[in-house]
Amino acid sequence: MTLVPSIGRELSNPPSDGISNLRFSNSSDHLVVSSWDKSVRLYDANADSMRGEFKHGGAVLDCCFHDDSSGFSASADHKVRRIDFNAGKEDILGMHDEPVRCVEYSYAAGQVITGSWDRTIKCWDPRAASGPERSQIGTYKQPERVNSLSLVGNHLVVATAGRHVNIYDLRNMSQPEQRRESSLKYQTRCVRCYPNGTGYALSSVEGRVSMEFFDLSEAAQAKNYGTFATGGCDGFVNVWDGNNKKRLYQYSKYPTSIAALSFSRDGGLLAIASSYTFEEGDKPHEPDAIFVRNVNEIEVKPKPKVYPNPPA
Amino acid sequence: MAKDPILQVETTCGSLLYELQIIWDEVGETETDRDKMLLELERECLEVYRRKVDHANRCRAQLRQAIADAEAELAAICSAMGERPVHNTRQSDQSVGSLKQELGTILPELEEMQKRKTERRNQFLFVLEEIENITNDIKGQGQLVLPKPPIHETDLSMRKLEELHCHLQALQKEKSDRVETIRKHLCTLYSHCSVLGMDFNEVVSQFNPTLTDPEGPRSLSDHTIDTLDAAVQKLREVKIQRMQKLQDLATTMLELWNLMDTPIEEQQEYQHITCNIAASEHEITQANSLSEDFIKYVEAEVVRLGEVKASKMKELVMKKRSELEEICRKTHMLPVSDSAMDQTIVAIESGIVDATLVLEHLEQHISKVKEEALSRKEILEKVEKWLSACDEESWLEEYNRDDNRYNAGRGAHLTLKRAEKARNLVNKLPVMVEALASKTIVWEQEKGIEFLYDGIRLLSMLEEYNLLRQEREEEHRRQRDHKKLQGQLIAEQEALYGSKPSPSKPLGGKKAPRMSTGSAATNRRLSLGAGTHQTPKPNKKADQRQAEGALSTGRRGLDVAGLPSRKQSMNPCEQLQSPLVRKPFSPISTTVVASKANIATPQQLVPSSKSNAVNEISSFATPVKNNNIIKNLEEEKIMMMMQTPKNVAAMIPIPSTPATISVPMQTAPTPLNNNNNARFLPEKAEVIEYSFEERRLAFMLQSESPIHV
Repeated sequence: MTLVPSIGRELSNPPSDGISNLRFSNSSDHLVVSSWDKSVRLYDANADSMRGEFKHGGAVLDCCFHDDSSGFSASADHKVRRIDFNAGKEDILGMHDEPVRCVEYSYAAGQVITGSWDRTIKCWDPRAASGPERSQIGTYKQPERVNSLSLVGNHLVVATAGRHVNIYDLRNMSQPEQRRESSLKYQTRCVRCYPNGTGYALSSVEGRVSMEFFDLSEAAQAKNYGTFATGGCDGFVNVWDGNNKKRLYQYSKYPTSIAALSFSRDGGLLAIASSYTFEEGDKPHEPDAIFVRNVNEIEVKPKPKVYPNPPA
Repeated sequence: MAKDPILQVETTCGSLLYELQIIWDEVGETETDRDKMLLELERECLEVYRRKVDHANRCRAQLRQAIADAEAELAAICSAMGERPVHNTRQSDQSVGSLKQELGTILPELEEMQKRKTERRNQFLFVLEEIENITNDIKGQGQLVLPKPPIHETDLSMRKLEELHCHLQALQKEKSDRVETIRKHLCTLYSHCSVLGMDFNEVVSQFNPTLTDPEGPRSLSDHTIDTLDAAVQKLREVKIQRMQKLQDLATTMLELWNLMDTPIEEQQEYQHITCNIAASEHEITQANSLSEDFIKYVEAEVVRLGEVKASKMKELVMKKRSELEEICRKTHMLPVSDSAMDQTIVAIESGIVDATLVLEHLEQHISKVKEEALSRKEILEKVEKWLSACDEESWLEEYNRDDNRYNAGRGAHLTLKRAEKARNLVNKLPVMVEALASKTIVWEQEKGIEFLYDGIRLLSMLEEYNLLRQEREEEHRRQRDHKKLQGQLIAEQEALYGSKPSPSKPLGGKKAPRMSTGSAATNRRLSLGAGTHQTPKPNKKADQRQAEGALSTGRRGLDVAGLPSRKQSMNPCEQLQSPLVRKPFSPISTTVVASKANIATPQQLVPSSKSNAVNEISSFATPVKNNNIIKNLEEEKIMMMMQTPKNVAAMIPIPSTPATISVPMQTAPTPLNNNNNARFLPEKAEVIEYSFEERRLAFMLQSESPIHV
């Protein structure tokens, strides 16, 4: 374990190729990491130990926890897999027609939701018997290839190529609750919903983040964006104050592009995947690494303004 | 015998009797008859006696009556006249003689008194008549004429006469008083009329026609006097009114003269008016000095003066206003809004607004603006210097872009000198701007307002300029890096493949000065493997570019990998981002054929035609390179050029079995930019960009499978 106080502890035994995503568990400081080396790894961030490794047929493009003992993965071999960490086994939950780009588990709906470059999102029953025929609850066409999706409460936000954004209510998936276009001019990179469930943030390959609200009328009222972290291909992680639209903190530069970020359940830890994201095509790059650092309140708390914030 | 008549009578009677008796005897009358006749005779004689006596009695009574009457009358007269008779009346004195004597005395007295009474009476009459006349005069014609006052006969005393005389005198006095009053009134009236320029007779006749009739009797009645009085009062009021008006006009006139410094000759004309400015009513006596015409005349003059003043005011206001505008213009402050001023001018003209007030405001405004201008002076000087430095800066840029600048020509040495000076100036610019900004901030803090230059906040202008400068420097830097990298790669390429110069066009932005001077004119785009050798102009960059030229097009993209040269024309915001973020598709490594990097999902096998096209292309380039050009494209174009999966010539096909992935050799026609070949490529349209993951996957799959051409 390398102690680099400024950028955090580097985890041992990182994946051998690019990291596509990493997430903290909701119930512990376990970290699940998906990688282009076709594996899904489970780490204990505090103990700096790898607790499991699961090989897939193709690059793993996304992963998420179900609970502390199991999770799901999305792979370029078009398959959606269930992974049982404890048993050390995985099986196929379902399939897309193209690489599966993102996977999420909705606690509200009790469903797994995946998005793929086949221009669909599919909902799966996580407890069904293995095999796509039995587990698929629904499939919903998207205007374009799905690049990112995010859940909060009953809302599902799907970001596709062509800057489309579909907002669904999980209780009624027959059609999107809202169809929007990203207000950013460039290709959508990532979408994440606010923990408070009022909206979502979109980021683009240009390096901008836009803050959106589900309820259009609410947008007119004062908004409480809270603080959030972004990681860019410049190797920097920035923490921002959404209300003041100012950067609160910038962590030291990481060796290469930031591929993924995840806050632990209590917000005390931040896992950073420093892994070249191919934004410039194939080129020599720093080795892929995972850093875990403590988050000080001072870094993420919004700075008080001179004048009061508008009411949330 | 003249004896006592009575005796005579008696004698006569006796004789008559004797005679009678004889007759009778003769006749032989009877005794009775004689007696009867004697009785009759006696009776008859008695009657005659009686008659006589009655008559005498009556006479005596008459006399007595006459005396009494006379006495009574006398008494009456005397009492009436209040005088004692001349002679005492017989009442007190008994020694009067016979009645006839008495009467004889009284009658002349009575006559006397009667005469006097008549006289007296006449006097009374006279007085009373007089009184009546005068009263009539006083009462006036048309009034009820009192009947002649009766003469009280019972009082014809002197006292009464005196009374009446007094009365008469009083009346006479009254009359004369009235006459006097009327006369005075008429005088006054006349004077007033004269002053007011009114016709006396007309005025008088209005009030009382009788007065105007020179022939007729003058009425002296109360009515007349009252009306005259009223007339006088009225005219007096009119006079006072006019006088006041005139005095007001005179005051105004004086004020205006004062305000406008009217020459004394002009003022002289109206001197006679202004001298009366404090006069009281009775002092104004000159004829027509208050006539309507005159007043109108004065009024007109005042109006004229007012107009002169207004126009002068307007002039003044305009003058002041242009003074204000001038100051504002000189110090680059925003002037007062014109519309407000114009409205004010109109208001002045129509007299609504007092121009003096406006002038005052303007004066205040001017002094305020002057103060502000003074405080701005220092900063403005600095701004001028800064602006001229900016001008020199842009001139210098132009100059730097000029290829011919080192050509010796007329005045070339001058421009060279200027360029040197300009460079010095440009070097000093940041410091200048900083100093100016800090001075401005201090000024703003002191004044508590923003420093505006022609309506724009100076600090914003400076910020903008700084931003621009930064952008430019970024651009410079990038271009330098670009050049460097290009040079390196060219050298690399030269080492590997030999030289094939293809000059690159650094996508300079409009703002950035060109890094390479010579190539500016030869703004060539990358030719896809055209490989035309360009001979760059000899300058220090030339070698680099020649080296660049050797680079195949395929490689070019890589050069540009780190250089967002095309960025300059983009939104400034982009430039501030990490340059690495928005790279166009980077070329695939040399070991990989074709464009996989740029192509999206692996789909069908490429149709041969496409592959031909691509092959064609690749024939130009070294086997390794083709078509990874892209980099030079503007971002949008890059996106545009991306082909849909369907159009993609080749890609990574769907693996037939999950386990394996086979990658057809592909020469997917990469989206070409400025390359003419791009037109050959099927481009059906959709503009859809590929995410990094997609590219990466494509690349990965390619690298996993063997390449077969």
